[in-house]
Order: sequence, then structure tokens, then C-alpha cells
Amino acid sequence: MTTAETHKSSGMGKDLAIYLCMLVLAGIQFVIAFQNISAQQMLERMLIVAILEAGLALLFFMHLADNRGLRWFVIIFTVAVILGMQYGWTDSFRIANGVTWAK
Amino acid sequence: MSQADLTLHGHSTAGAMAEPTFSVPAKKMAMWLFIIADTATFAGCLFAYGFIRNASQNWPRPFHSITNVAVMTLILLTSSLTMLVGVKAAQAGDKPKAFRWIMITAVAGVLFAALHLREWMGMIAEGATLFHNPWGTPLFSSLFFSITGLHLLHVTGGVVALIVVGVRYQGGRYKADDIEITGLYWHFVDLVWMFVVPLVYLLNLSH
Amino acid sequence: MHDMSAPAAHHGAPTSFIRKHVFSLDHKVIGKQYYALALLAALIGMALSWIMRIHLGWGNFAIPGLHLLSSTGAPGNVLTPEYYLQLMTMHGTIMVFFVLTTAPFAAFGNFFLPIQTGAEDMPFPHFNMMSFWVTFVGFWVLIASFFVGDGPTLGGWTQYAPLSAIGSVGGPGQGLGVVLWATSIAIFCIGQLLGSLNFITTTLDMRCKGMSLMRLPLTAWAWFITSVMGLTAFAVLMPACILLILDHVAGTSFFVASNLVINDQVLPHSGGSTLLWQHLFWFFGHPEVYIAIVPGMGIVSHVLITNMRKPMLSHRVLIYSMAALAVLSYMVYGHHMFVSGMNPVSSLAFSFPTLVITIPSTIVVLMWLGSLYGSKLQINSASLFSLGFISMFISGGVSGFFLAQPSIDIMLHATYFVVGHFHLVMGVAAMFGIFAGTYFWFPKMTGRMMSEPLGKAHFWLSFVGAYCIFMPFHYLGIAGNVRRYQAFTDDYLIPLIPVHKFITIAALITGFAQLIFVYNLIYSRFKGPVETDNPWQGTSLEWSTATPPPHNNFGATMPVVYHDPYQYSVEGASSDFVMQTSPEKINNPNEEK
Repeated sequence: MTTAETHKSSGMGKDLAIYLCMLVLAGIQFVIAFQNISAQQMLERMLIVAILEAGLALLFFMHLADNRGLRWFVIIFTVAVILGMQYGWTDSFRIANGVTWAK
Repeated sequence: MSQADLTLHGHSTAGAMAEPTFSVPAKKMAMWLFIIADTATFAGCLFAYGFIRNASQNWPRPFHSITNVAVMTLILLTSSLTMLVGVKAAQAGDKPKAFRWIMITAVAGVLFAALHLREWMGMIAEGATLFHNPWGTPLFSSLFFSITGLHLLHVTGGVVALIVVGVRYQGGRYKADDIEITGLYWHFVDLVWMFVVPLVYLLNLSH
Repeated sequence: MHDMSAPAAHHGAPTSFIRKHVFSLDHKVIGKQYYALALLAALIGMALSWIMRIHLGWGNFAIPGLHLLSSTGAPGNVLTPEYYLQLMTMHGTIMVFFVLTTAPFAAFGNFFLPIQTGAEDMPFPHFNMMSFWVTFVGFWVLIASFFVGDGPTLGGWTQYAPLSAIGSVGGPGQGLGVVLWATSIAIFCIGQLLGSLNFITTTLDMRCKGMSLMRLPLTAWAWFITSVMGLTAFAVLMPACILLILDHVAGTSFFVASNLVINDQVLPHSGGSTLLWQHLFWFFGHPEVYIAIVPGMGIVSHVLITNMRKPMLSHRVLIYSMAALAVLSYMVYGHHMFVSGMNPVSSLAFSFPTLVITIPSTIVVLMWLGSLYGSKLQINSASLFSLGFISMFISGGVSGFFLAQPSIDIMLHATYFVVGHFHLVMGVAAMFGIFAGTYFWFPKMTGRMMSEPLGKAHFWLSFVGAYCIFMPFHYLGIAGNVRRYQAFTDDYLIPLIPVHKFITIAALITGFAQLIFVYNLIYSRFKGPVETDNPWQGTSLEWSTATPPPHNNFGATMPVVYHDPYQYSVEGASSDFVMQTSPEKINNPNEEK
């Protein structure tokens, strides 16, 4: 069984390290939840952490790190589509009488 | 895949095809494409959630405790790791080990679903339904149940897929590559959860 | 050697009738099934437009037998205002989803994409079969709404909330009709997702030896780009439809705001947002426009190249332009919402990429015109319809410049100007692409030739007819004729009634011209002259295989590709065209590696 992303049959050391990193990042999300900041700041920080965490999962658990072509295909495709969805936000703020974020 | 699988209509297709783009064979490519499409689906749902949350004046923050969701996150993240162990074992040709770890992953999935359902039951007991809840705008529970329900559907599907693929791999019908592809899906379910937790749970935590 | 590069699912030639013609795994049969479904849908959609046009021209004219369709919707064989809107909704939905998406993309793409890439079949034949049958079920769910409850929904193919979400208080068809509509579209989405999955993997992973991505014909590229759009666009429409269904059956209120009063009733909904539906819908809806037109661009390029006997000015620029259209199609959707109460700042943000998207469109058109300039184009039905496509695309596209600007759009939005714009650029143009493809590929699909005189008659009647129908729409729109009116009773509208009568007559004549096509199609299928494997002397892979292609497309040996798809009139070559599979060495400095 060989594919281009054949995985070195090395031990689980690297994966375990990535797993621990992801646990820490997930933990940070929970810490942020208890910070005394506005919902908007909270959202920004949590999203940054979530993107880092998801990036680790994509690159190492799903092995995108090993395949440059596929990596860019997936990332550009997905990011472009998700960015395309972001136009609508201003409408949502305005509807609730100028309230920017739910309290 | 054996050479016999490659013979079709009396002639061998081996070497008759150009190199697959990105060196990713069709089945795995299909899983990646499914993941991209599903990302768009979840992104659409989370966009709807954020849109309505912004537009609501009496958005509730009903969650008091993070214990349950923290445990669920831990389980799901760990199940990604056990999946990885299973995939590596399959790629190394260690069938029993691979099967064992795939089943452990499936059990983790079941545990996750059970905790999730228990949480749902608790909320339903407090009076939350798809169109009503005691805390604030009814859309909170509409969106909460829709999004977590969609994710739960993915987990359930994943558990079924793990069991089916695992058993058939054990029986010799599926190959290590199929395990790897199922693994991709399982990691993706985990990945989505990383966004569902902060957006749907942690932002709605009461202080 | 990559083990899994071989087809993921093999299947031998089917023996039973059901496997051969009904639940077939063969992409060629599935392509024909899609074509038949699209043809049926097109005829239904056209009949609906006739009924509407007659009503608009002569409001009291009783169409015999109409009450059989709906006794409440057409008492005395005359449409009620509501039933007019219901028919209009069905016309739009059927045409956009089940004709413009299925015919150029799913039908031709299924038949020819695997052949043009040099594959034996798509990698997932079972998905492919499901894709068709799921779409088939979706179609009949939609048609069923004619016959249950108080008829189909009247909300238009865009199903704007809150009208679509409030239930039967909104009017006939707004209860069960909308639920069936949303169910049908959600099912349709699943079918197209499965199809897109197959198309992309076929293009990326199922190419025969020597077929690099740049050696793929423009049609294959067009289908590939279309399926890339379809993959994510339909994935967003599906949850939107499900949320809409939940609003109906589960008592949620995603798309209805609080305290909405309809017919003196305060609705029980609270908290939702009507604009949310539009954002979700148009996020799908704009790529959908390109899903309808990009395959046509590929087909037209392919047909023109074969009939010009020379390649386009630049193969790559055409591909890049189509890809740019796909990317930009996700960034412009808000230009449908300039007057929806969207934030004016967003209008600006949407207006800019909308004007930018005209650049790749213009490049594509200039490529065609520049390549046509000075060429000795062979005139036949296929090339005529290709020219017609270009003409319609330009005429319909030019009005896009006006609509792209919010300040002008405010005046023109929701008038016949918009209706004329999209019917020309997306409706008629895409239909002409389908016709060009049909006349061109019919000999390969059936082994017989279609009648050229009938084809030319069909072209000229359709071409002149389409302009007679849709050009006056622009005039009506500028004169202030709001779309979706079923009668014209206001002072400023009464002088416009003769224009509507003219359009109705043109629509009836053009519609009958389509029956020539249907006759030609059926007659030629059984009685047309038998053709050789390569009647147009084309170079791409579909012309190097037998007619009709064998079950595995290429018989005993898989093809090996040595050349670009369009090696016509190459200096020093032994003939006027060099097939992709010809091992002949040619001296063409522009050839792709």
C-alpha cells in the first residue's frame, strides 16, 4: 500500500505531541470563556484558537502537511467559499436596532 | 488492491492511466471533496447562527457549567488520536491492532453521543424545544438543536461507518486505504466540533 | 504505481434490462437519462410560460382545459392572480434547476466527461446512478405540488422569506406547496452533490495516459469548473432548504421576524431574520447562474473550434477566465439584494466584484470573436447555435453592466428589465448551448445524424424569436413595468399592453419552433442517416472511439494521448486534423507539454 503521503511508520511521538497541543488549545478556549471581556473580543480570540487547532488537525492528523498540491487545493477552495459567506454580517447588526453583538 | 482488482473487461488498466492529480487516488479525493462540501454546509449553518444571534435582542446564555462540554471535547479529541493509531496499524498491516483501535474510536463516538443526548435531555427537561425555551428568544434552541443535531448526525454516521469499515476490514473486504479515508471523515467531525464548542457553547456561558 | 489510481468501482457490461436502461451504472446511459429528464422538464416549463404569456396578453382569454390543472386556480379556464404566480414559480424552478442545471452540466457532462478524459467510467458509478434517480425523485416531488393541497407555491423560484416561511396564511400553496418545493430542492442538491463529486474525481484522477490537465478539451474544463462550483453552492442551499422546512413543520422561526402581521393576523413567529434567507439563498444562487452558463461556454468553444478548423487564440486564457468566473461568482451574490434592505455599504462591496466579473466574461467573448475573425467557419446547426449563444450572451451581458450598479439597479430592480437580462444571458444562452451540444454530439450519442434543414429552421426561428420576446422586456422594464404583475391596469401600464401582446405572439411562435427540435430529435433517433465514428472530423477523444461508444468507452485498449485537444490545420501534418490519440509527430510550437 503506497500513496504519495505514505506515513513514516515512525512511532506515535509526533502525533501525541500534536494531540497535546490540541488539548491545550481546546483548554485555552475554555479559559477565554471565563475572561471578563466583551462577546466580540471573546469571539475573536476563540476563533483564532479554533483556527489554530483546526490547522493542526488538518496538517498532521489529516496529513495535509505531506501533500503540497492537495493542501493548497483544499485550503484555497475552502477559505474562498467561507470568505464569500462573510458579506452578510452588517445586515444582522442593523436589524436589532443597532445592537452590534448580543450581550 | 490486488492485481485482480485492476483487471477490467479483460485488459489491465495498470499503467493505462495518467498519474492522479496531487497523487491522491479517486476515493480519497472524493472524501476530501465531501469534507469541503460539508464545511460549506456547516459554515452556512454557523453563519445563520451568528446572523440570528446578532440580530436578537434577548439572546440567552443558559449554560452554567462547562464540565459536560469539556468532557465531550476531550473524548472527541482523544478519539481522533485513537483513530490515528488504528490507521497507522492498518498501514503497517497489523490487522488485529487496527481493528481494536477502530472499535475503541467507535466506542468513544458512542460515549460522545451519549453525553450529548444526556445534555439534550437535561435541556428538554428544563423546557427547551425546537421552537421554545425558558431562557430567551426561541431561536436559541432552534439553532442550538439544529447545529448540534447536525453534528450529532455526523458523529452517528461516523460511528456506523467505523463499525462497518472496521468489520469489513477485519473480514478482508476493505483495505488500509479505506480505513485511512474513514479516518479523514472522523478527524473532520472532530474539526467541526472545535468551532461548534466556542460558538454555540462557550459564547453562551452565563457568568 | 498507485494502486488506487485504477477505477474505484468496476462493473462489467450489464445484461438485464433494468441494469442496462433503468438503474444503469453506465455514465453514458445516465447522461441520456438526464437529457430525457431535462427535455421533459423543458417542455413542461415552456407550456407553463405559454399559459402565463397568453394570460398577460389577453387576460380574459379562456384556455380550454386549463381548469383540469386546477379548478380553483383557473375557474372558467382563466387564471386567478395567485395561480398565475404559482405557475410562474414552477416555470422558474423547473427551468433553473431541472433544465439549465441538468442538461448542459449533468446530461452532456455525464456522457462526455469520462470519454474526453479517457476513462472507462466515472470512479463512483453507484453514486452516479443515485445522482440521477435522486434528481428524478426531486423532480416528481416538485411536480406533485401541482396536485396536492392548494397547488404549488407562489413565492417565485427564489422563495423570499417571510412569504415562503409563514405557511398557508401567505396564500395558496404557501403551506404544503413550499414544503414540497423545499423538499424537492434539498433532494436535488443531494443529487448534484453526488454528481459534482464524480465529475471532479473523474477530471483529477481518471485521465488516460498522456492526458495532462491542460490537454483536456475546453468542455471537460468547463464541466470541471462547474462541478467545483456545484460542490459548495448546493451544499449551502441544502441546509437553507432544511431550515425553511423546519419553519413550516417544526414551528421554528428562522426566517420570520417577530410581530409580523399578515391578513390582520399577528403571526406566532418571533425572532428570525428575513434577510438571512436571501443571504443563504443567493450564496447558492449566484454560483448557480454560472453553473448554468459555464458548461455552455465549454460546449460552444468546442463546437466552434471544430467548425473553424483551428484552435482558440488561447486555450489557457479561456480556462483561466472560466475559473475566474467561478471564483468571482462567490463574491457577487449581493447584487441580487440591492433593494432588499441590505446595508448600503454591502451594496458597494458587492457592486465592485460584480463589475470585475464582467472582465473574465468579456475576455471569453473576445476570445470567441477574435478566433472567429477571419476564420472559415463551417455553417451547420451546431455552429449556428454557438454563434447564437455568443450573441445572446453579449446582449444579455451588456444589461448586466447597468444592473451591477446599485444606483441604476434601484430603478430597474424587480422590473421586466431584470427578467429580460437573465432570460437572455442565462436562459436562452444556456439553452442555445444545449442545442449546439445536441446537434454536435447527437451522431456520437445515437449513431445517427440530425436533419440539418430542420436544425437551421429551428435556429433561425429560435434566434429571431428569442430576441423578439426578450428585447422588448428591457423596454418594458425601463418604462416601469414591474415583474410578476398578472394584469396591467394602472394608467402607465395600459399603453404597454400591445408590447405584451407582441411578446406573447413571439413566445407562441418560438415555442412551436422548439417542437421542430423535438420532432427532429425523435425522428433522427430512429430514421436519421447513419453516421461514421467521426462525422465532424474532430480531434478529442470522443471522436476516436466507436459510435455508440462501447460499455467501457474504448473497447479492448485504453487510449493514449499524444497531443493537445485541438490540433487543426497544423502545418506539415498529414491531414487537416491530428487526433489526440494519433502518435504522429507534429511540429507545433504552441503545444502543451
